[in-house]
Amino acid sequence: MQGASATGVLSHLSRLEVQARSRKTEPQQRSRVTELKAAAEQLRMRREQLRAEVETHKNLQKLRTSMDKRREDEEGEEGMDEDSEDSELLRLMARHTQLNDLLYAHHIIGGYDAIKTRQGQGLCLSLPTAYDGVFLETYNLEIDVKPTPRIARHNIPPFIPLSDLVEQSDMKTDIRTFLDTLSQHLNAFSGRKQQLKLLKELHKSVEVMESNALCSILVMMVTVPKEKTAVLCTLDYTDHTRCLPTRVHFECNDKPLADSPDWDKTRSLLLETPVHKALSTMRNMGNIV
Amino acid sequence: MDDSTRRFLQRLIRRIPAQMLKTTLDKWGRLTAAQKQSMDFTEPKWAFTERLLDICEENGWTWKHITELEMTYVIDNPNQGMWYAFQLMDPEDDAHSVELTHFKEQFKSHLSELARPVSVKMKKHADEAIWIRIAWGDSFSRPNHQKPTYVVHHLQTPYVFVTSLTSKQKPLLSQALVLSTRHQAIKDASLSGRKLGAIRDLLMRQYQQVFPTSYPSPLAERNETVSNPQIEKEQAKSAENRLQMACEAFGDGMLPQLQSSVYKLETKFKDHTNKTMTEREEPFRCVVKFASTNLLESLRHCASSGIASTPVTPLLSSIPLKGRNYFIIKDNGPGPSSQTRQTQN
Repeated sequence: MQGASATGVLSHLSRLEVQARSRKTEPQQRSRVTELKAAAEQLRMRREQLRAEVETHKNLQKLRTSMDKRREDEEGEEGMDEDSEDSELLRLMARHTQLNDLLYAHHIIGGYDAIKTRQGQGLCLSLPTAYDGVFLETYNLEIDVKPTPRIARHNIPPFIPLSDLVEQSDMKTDIRTFLDTLSQHLNAFSGRKQQLKLLKELHKSVEVMESNALCSILVMMVTVPKEKTAVLCTLDYTDHTRCLPTRVHFECNDKPLADSPDWDKTRSLLLETPVHKALSTMRNMGNIV
Repeated sequence: MDDSTRRFLQRLIRRIPAQMLKTTLDKWGRLTAAQKQSMDFTEPKWAFTERLLDICEENGWTWKHITELEMTYVIDNPNQGMWYAFQLMDPEDDAHSVELTHFKEQFKSHLSELARPVSVKMKKHADEAIWIRIAWGDSFSRPNHQKPTYVVHHLQTPYVFVTSLTSKQKPLLSQALVLSTRHQAIKDASLSGRKLGAIRDLLMRQYQQVFPTSYPSPLAERNETVSNPQIEKEQAKSAENRLQMACEAFGDGMLPQLQSSVYKLETKFKDHTNKTMTEREEPFRCVVKFASTNLLESLRHCASSGIASTPVTPLLSSIPLKGRNYFIIKDNGPGPSSQTRQTQN
């Protein structure tokens, strides 16, 4: 029956089956190979790209170090001899990274941080405040640049005279003066607030009778050790751009005490040193408890 | 102690929740240690009130002392009733140096001149706020202590917060405030809410605002905790942008709790499919009110989840930006700051 099986239906079917199977595997293998070849090509291109980037970066670094070194040595412009477009571009890129680093350094040491918003139609400034080497709050201003520079929003407390400062300086031509004055006010306010906080923390024996949100007035009660009399000290900070008081006034039931030369010295001490440090000195000198 | 005083005290004790009685009385500070010992805070309120009334008779206390107790309670629990914000305008040159005692004297004398008889009590709170309690009287009667007005002001800021003020009393209070704080005018700040702290924080900008910075944004850093690294968020970038814009408009973290925002529209009707309405000459008057337990939080969530389109429309972002929640919108733009409310009750 072998002859019959070679030409029968079953054998025909099995032949078709073999054919179909071979058709499947061969194209599969072929397409897999082309796939892999394409992937390899892509990876090669990527490698070339990365190599070029690394090369540019190396050149840039070289250029940067030479630029920085040149700035230190104060030599003349030596630069690359070739005026090719590439070197010009590289130089610009190097300068760009240099300026970015400078801006970042400025930001870290507490300078204003300005960035463009809304595709150049807005400008956002941040003003950090610090006192005695400690960074305190940062205040922000968002300014609309067109048609005239005007403040859109901010988080500056209402007792800082922002609208007065805006009127006093021309935002269009000299925004720097405005920012400097504002920064003075904010730094002084943060400084006075910090002094009040330290005073409350370090000097529990001194009672703060009156203070206000702007920290422009401070009334405290101190006790003299010998006679246990209470003296009321009033510090007026009328200059809101300074951290030190402009006027110091003592009140005491025992009149001669307030007029004694010791208290004159104390008065000048309070006028010249920050209040929490002045109180420490006064305590060390034995003037107060 | 006469009858009205007794009744006032009874009503006051009824008003104070049982768990706050002890702390309020301690803060009031008028009871001696022995008297405090003799009070039993676990007994029912009517018995407690009787005991307190006896102590008051013993010590011979009057209206002055009882209103002090009420003031102590209100200062600690200010979130009852509606608070309205006012803004002082055009300061004189010496407005910045107005100090506490001066302000107190001036306010009392001016108000007594304007609204005789009146009972004024002023107290400085630890957070630099000056609390004023005013009981108004008129030519026929003594000051009515049942409906006092409370006023809160921080010196050297232009804001004043008021509760329980009638329209008759408003001009008298305004005049007294303007004169004693050395300003030239006072206007309605169009901001109201149930929580004093919330409207105060909003106006004094005491909440966390977000500004664009070029250095890593704290928002992005905080949200970096990925629960499962195998889950990748599609559209993560646009979600981040929306969150940034929402936070820039409303703020970050805990926001002041406002309860409502009202927009009064007086604009012409604009709908091409409705000819009759569009042809009318007069503007279409309509009032839209948004209400929530924490309105700003809800609006911020709307913006960050994409329900409200970003960048946030100025109609919504004006609430924290301008510090108001009542707007009148006319055809030439959203209500300018000179718009005032008609009645204040």
